Amino acid sequence: MSVAVAAAGVHKTYVDGVRRVEVLRGVDLEVAPGELVAVVGPSGSGKSTLLHLLGALDRPDAGAIAIGGTALTELSPRRLAHFRNRTIGFVFQFHQLLADFDALENVMLPGRIARRDPRQVLARARALLEEVGLADRLDHFPSQLSGGERQRVAICRALALEPPLLLADEPTGNLDPESGAQVFDLFLELQERHQTTGVLVTHNPAIAARCARALRLEGGVLQPG
Amino acid sequence: MPRLLLSPLPFAAVLALRYLKSTRKDAFASFLSAVAAGGIALGVAALILSLAVISGFQDALRSEILGRTPQLEVELPPGADAAAARRAVLAVPGVRAAQVQARGGGWVVAEGKVQPVELVGIEGTVPRSFPGAAGRPEGLYVPRGLAERWALRRGQLLRLASPRPTLTPFGPQPRVRTLPVAGFYESGRTQQERERVALPLRAAESLVGGGSRLLEVTAGGLDEALTLAARLPAVLPPGAEVRTWQDLNRPLLFALRLEKAVLFVAVFLIVLVAALALVADLALVTSSKRPEIGMLGAMGATAGEVGGAFLLLGALVGGLGTAAGAVLGVAGAWVLDRYELLPVPGRVYFLDYVPFLVRWQDLVVVLALTLFLALVSSYYTARRAAAMDPIEAMRR
Repeated sequence: MSVAVAAAGVHKTYVDGVRRVEVLRGVDLEVAPGELVAVVGPSGSGKSTLLHLLGALDRPDAGAIAIGGTALTELSPRRLAHFRNRTIGFVFQFHQLLADFDALENVMLPGRIARRDPRQVLARARALLEEVGLADRLDHFPSQLSGGERQRVAICRALALEPPLLLADEPTGNLDPESGAQVFDLFLELQERHQTTGVLVTHNPAIAARCARALRLEGGVLQPG
Repeated sequence: MPRLLLSPLPFAAVLALRYLKSTRKDAFASFLSAVAAGGIALGVAALILSLAVISGFQDALRSEILGRTPQLEVELPPGADAAAARRAVLAVPGVRAAQVQARGGGWVVAEGKVQPVELVGIEGTVPRSFPGAAGRPEGLYVPRGLAERWALRRGQLLRLASPRPTLTPFGPQPRVRTLPVAGFYESGRTQQERERVALPLRAAESLVGGGSRLLEVTAGGLDEALTLAARLPAVLPPGAEVRTWQDLNRPLLFALRLEKAVLFVAVFLIVLVAALALVADLALVTSSKRPEIGMLGAMGATAGEVGGAFLLLGALVGGLGTAAGAVLGVAGAWVLDRYELLPVPGRVYFLDYVPFLVRWQDLVVVLALTLFLALVSSYYTARRAAAMDPIEAMRR
């Protein structure tokens, strides 16, 4: 399952003390269902801000964002939380795994938040972790896993509820080149197999080149990469 | 097998239980949790024990005092017909007994020794306010303590004197009556109580005069006496004053209640300080879990679930402390009372040991108030955790 992502005329301004920083100045973005789009740009260009807006973690000052036809600006905070849970899977630069839960439990968390049947949630989490080669790491806590393993668990967690949209913010940015490459291979493989729409933010041209389409965010607007 | 995540518990409870377990790994957080829970336990135990001491003393003092206080006392106006008033009172349903009494101050004199006493003139049998002699025929009854000090024997003649003068050819002289000792009653050990002697009404009247008369009224019990007190004035002559055992001991009962209230407030400060430790503990846990709280928000956990988890965590730490304190306090009170572990000099106090009595009403108030305080303390941090912006929280 996948959804289309549409952003039109998105503006976002931050007030930093007395200085106003206009990060996004009318971003337009169309992502087709099942497509993987990379957004590249120098650091501070607003890539993460765009991703947060697409992920319903923040609201634009102006413009409209629709995911699968749902306009995000019209949802209450509670409905937004619900929407994030069912529709979006996040992978961040830092794994953001919960330290007090083991790998299997971390992958089960979205399912528990969604109040799915715990037995099905468990089966799904186990299958995902086995798929990424962590079958013997299920009961390991994040502190007992390597950086690459943690990020693989984080990808499984993002896919736990089979969300139609996957948002990744420098998913390999915190890893050494070798495990970074492995994790990205896995990310691509899973995205393709599950036919998930994806938006990936990176400053790594090699990674951007492997995506279906790459866009460059510069001066607050998106241009073809 | 992730048993906790397979349980049917709400998500907030799953988080709270895991955080409670995990604080043991963080040395400082676990220290703070232990201080908070331990402090609450200590405060609750101290509260239960100190209230139990007061209750124990109250209970002992009440039975001690109330044993020798009339349940109801009616002071008749001067010149009233005491016999008629007694008949009228006896006709009221619920009245078990009513006795005419005359009272006044005087002295007991024997072989050069003098003891000021309250003279209580009685008619018929000795009333219940003279424990140990109650129900015996009228006569002169003196406190056992006095009898022991003066080595009095039954049948020995004692002189009773009153300050009411009688005119003689030699000028005014105090009135004196000589009576044989009929028996003894158990004297109280409280300081407040004046020495009393019971003597036949006629003899008392000749000593203190017949102007002021009292009725001692006995009902089925202490509570019945209080309801009866409201019904009595209707059948009594105008000007008659009805006093209950509560009225007669009001200063003492008030002092006991005040003592309990003041002690409660003072000892509750321990719980208050422990609640501050709980606030610090939860603040530490929330700040160390900031990025995780942000990720929970990104995964779609609602503010209610995140806030609920920290509220529950505080309630769990507070609840554990409260439960431990309740067990400690109740068990401690039981052991101290059962084995009379705290002796006090019986000659100074009216008891040989410190009594402990845990009243369930006290227990309910202590537990409810402590848990409420734990919840209030957790509410602040829970709200802050719930209000965290996911992006801000995840930023490192």
